[in-house]
Amino acid sequence: MSAITVFSAKKIITMNPVRPHATHVAIRDGRVLATGTIEEISGWGDYQLDDSFADKVIMPGFVEGHCHLMAGGIWRYTYVGYQDRVDPDGRQWPGVKSLEEVLARLQEAEADLGPDDPLVAWGFDPIFLMDRRLDKNDLDSVSQNRPIAIIHSNFHLMTVNSASLSLANYVADMDIDGVAIGPDGTPNGELQEMAAMFPIMRRLGIDLRELGRTTRSLVDFGKVCNRVGVTTAADLINDLPDEDVAQMRVITDGSDYPIRLMSLLNGISQPAEETRERALELKAKSTEKLRLGAVKIITDGSIQGFTARLRWPHHYNGAPNGIWNIAPEQLNVLVSVLHEAGVQMHIHTNGDEAIEVALEALEQAKIKKNRPDLLHVLQHCQMADRAQFRKMKRLGVAANLFSNHIYYFGDKHYELTIGPDRALRMDACQSAIDYGVPFAIHSDAPVTPMAPLFTAWCAVNRLTESGKCLGEYERIGVSEALQAITLGAATTLHMDHEVGSIETGKWADFAILDDDPETIGAGKLKDVGIWGTVLAGEKHKIP
Amino acid sequence: MTVLGGFLGSGKTTLVNHLLRHADGKRIMVLVNDFGELPIDQDLIAAKDGNILTLANGCACCSMGADLYKAFAAALDYAPAPDHLLIEASGVAEPKRIANFARAEPDLTLNGVITMVDAVNFEKTRTDNRLSDIVEAQITGAHMLLLNKCDLVPTQDLEKCESVLRGFNGTAPLIRVEHGVLSADIFFGEDIKAGRLKEISEGSHTHTHEADFARWSVATDTEIDKAALRETLLQLPSSILRVKGIFRASGEDGLWIAHKVGAHIDISRLPTDSSFSGNTGFVAIGLSNQDFTTILDTAFQSIK
Repeated sequence: MSAITVFSAKKIITMNPVRPHATHVAIRDGRVLATGTIEEISGWGDYQLDDSFADKVIMPGFVEGHCHLMAGGIWRYTYVGYQDRVDPDGRQWPGVKSLEEVLARLQEAEADLGPDDPLVAWGFDPIFLMDRRLDKNDLDSVSQNRPIAIIHSNFHLMTVNSASLSLANYVADMDIDGVAIGPDGTPNGELQEMAAMFPIMRRLGIDLRELGRTTRSLVDFGKVCNRVGVTTAADLINDLPDEDVAQMRVITDGSDYPIRLMSLLNGISQPAEETRERALELKAKSTEKLRLGAVKIITDGSIQGFTARLRWPHHYNGAPNGIWNIAPEQLNVLVSVLHEAGVQMHIHTNGDEAIEVALEALEQAKIKKNRPDLLHVLQHCQMADRAQFRKMKRLGVAANLFSNHIYYFGDKHYELTIGPDRALRMDACQSAIDYGVPFAIHSDAPVTPMAPLFTAWCAVNRLTESGKCLGEYERIGVSEALQAITLGAATTLHMDHEVGSIETGKWADFAILDDDPETIGAGKLKDVGIWGTVLAGEKHKIP
Repeated sequence: MTVLGGFLGSGKTTLVNHLLRHADGKRIMVLVNDFGELPIDQDLIAAKDGNILTLANGCACCSMGADLYKAFAAALDYAPAPDHLLIEASGVAEPKRIANFARAEPDLTLNGVITMVDAVNFEKTRTDNRLSDIVEAQITGAHMLLLNKCDLVPTQDLEKCESVLRGFNGTAPLIRVEHGVLSADIFFGEDIKAGRLKEISEGSHTHTHEADFARWSVATDTEIDKAALRETLLQLPSSILRVKGIFRASGEDGLWIAHKVGAHIDISRLPTDSSFSGNTGFVAIGLSNQDFTTILDTAFQSIK
């Protein structure tokens, strides 16, 4: 029989209501054998006691139910965001708080580049666009000759210098949508949306989708997860060609790779039947650490980009309604085809009209075929009203709510995009609880930083960047938020029987914390220190 | 680059297949943004390489999925470079947004946004409140409108449909189409990559008629004022579907190219790598009516 290891801890928060707290956890063959006191555990036989976590708090490893592999690869570019961040290798990147600091950061990065490298930066925060906008002249002060491109944090805007502009021949006002014009009548360096950004990205070799594909990206992604206590993460859209799957299997199989990775197939790049066949094929390639077979379907755009599909009365500032990436009638067909075949779907829906359309498609599919084995998930599901949560409950559909949005974009939603009434009900965790809808909360990293305890803090406090409480009713308790970032998220990934709580038979996947999130206070939840993680009983200390 | 928009079931795929079948030596690359049925007739396909289908006549077809970046990068890197890039927009896409890629990218020239409307289902789609704004954007953003399935609809419904379309977009020519069939020179306009503009003969103008369309051309080596040309093109009625010309501009070196489809007018320097060696002049194609030749003769007389 394999050896038993016992970790002692200051406190173990199990998320198992039968024994919510313990002082010891026993592990055998990478799985939880028992929790409880040392006396209870000793009944299983000889064990090796490991006291290294004696002053730590152990929780189930956090589950990030919606992020992207790009969260690792994006760090090859220079970070110029407002918030402090830590890169995969542990380097602290203090937030840059003024345009001067942005330029200083760029100058520093410029000095390290080879003569022919472009300077690319990311994470630039819209807060800097309030009074004076960053423009080409600012960036020209960093370099006249080297092309520079600053990707804004929302990935929909970019500011470039004159050297970049001339590469794309943006030298005069040519009345091109998305190429902003300055007071002198020439392009000022700000480029809006993909069409206008494309000529620069192509010439500087910036391919965001490609950032998630390399070996280094996968490894860096694992490090990003490890730093924030995540042991299971879902990469929410991927084309998953065979060569990428093979590479993912090799990397995740390594005992030093600290997470279980789920990767979802892009469901809107091929006909429904082909998506179904590919999903079933991929499912068969799953391993203990790489989960495949679920499908992502993108219906609308983003609320902050004014591209979400909203029901009446539409945008608060009168902007036109958003876009569909798939027509409602095509969605009906796709959802039915996948549901019938037993493929789990994660449907991207931001606006309430997109949510309505997705729920109708699921309703039709479920009337045609009873598949109680499947829990489909509305991803983001930001604008759902209470009637829609009731419908989710009736249909047996889960929600993964974008709680980080409250902090990062909540002020803008209140003032500009959807107005107070609907902003106050955004990412409605309490409504999900009221009606018994299984739910998780997420970061969508790298759109916002991955850090489940920060996401939990958002759901508990609902504070925006300016400090406003965005909808007191929808705040939830600390224990409910901790459940959402563990068992709740595991449920949305069909993995709640394996991870998400510390109980007999499940994987010994833990987040090892310096502080106790149950007692530190709701306002400090995001400040809980993290030592690292344990995956299948193996320690992964943050280096 | 030409963008073909239109709601699901409007007949875009049939038209694309027709254009590929009658490519007539043009190397057309199609980017397909719908993920419904296989868009290209099986008998046209010569080979499949990853996402790209190649056709026996030198054309190619690439699925763009949800990733415009990847699709455009693949199309622009494709060797040998195609003569035309045809984007079959998704049924819910706003074709103008896609056309912006061509307006922004120096390696592309926008040859127009053409929206196909299904005469049978137009009214139903237009009044669906989840789709009405999309359908409207597809119509208002078009430089040419094709009303398809005209054979399946009574004349009075057709006229009603046309008046609604004109209400949304008064500048784009409106062409009735049956079975998704339209000739390639109307769809793409004249092809200058072939080295010359067709049908221009020295010192005279010609026009030819087929059933519904008339063609016209004039040769001229007079220097032309660009602003006056733009104004002249702008004033042409919407029955003149396309005008293309290569000319010498007053006060400028080298050759210039002008093209007009609907309200979209583009006047720019002829790329230096162009193999153009024919006569300078203008060609036009329009709906056949008795004034067709007179309108064009008069218009171009004024700037010559």
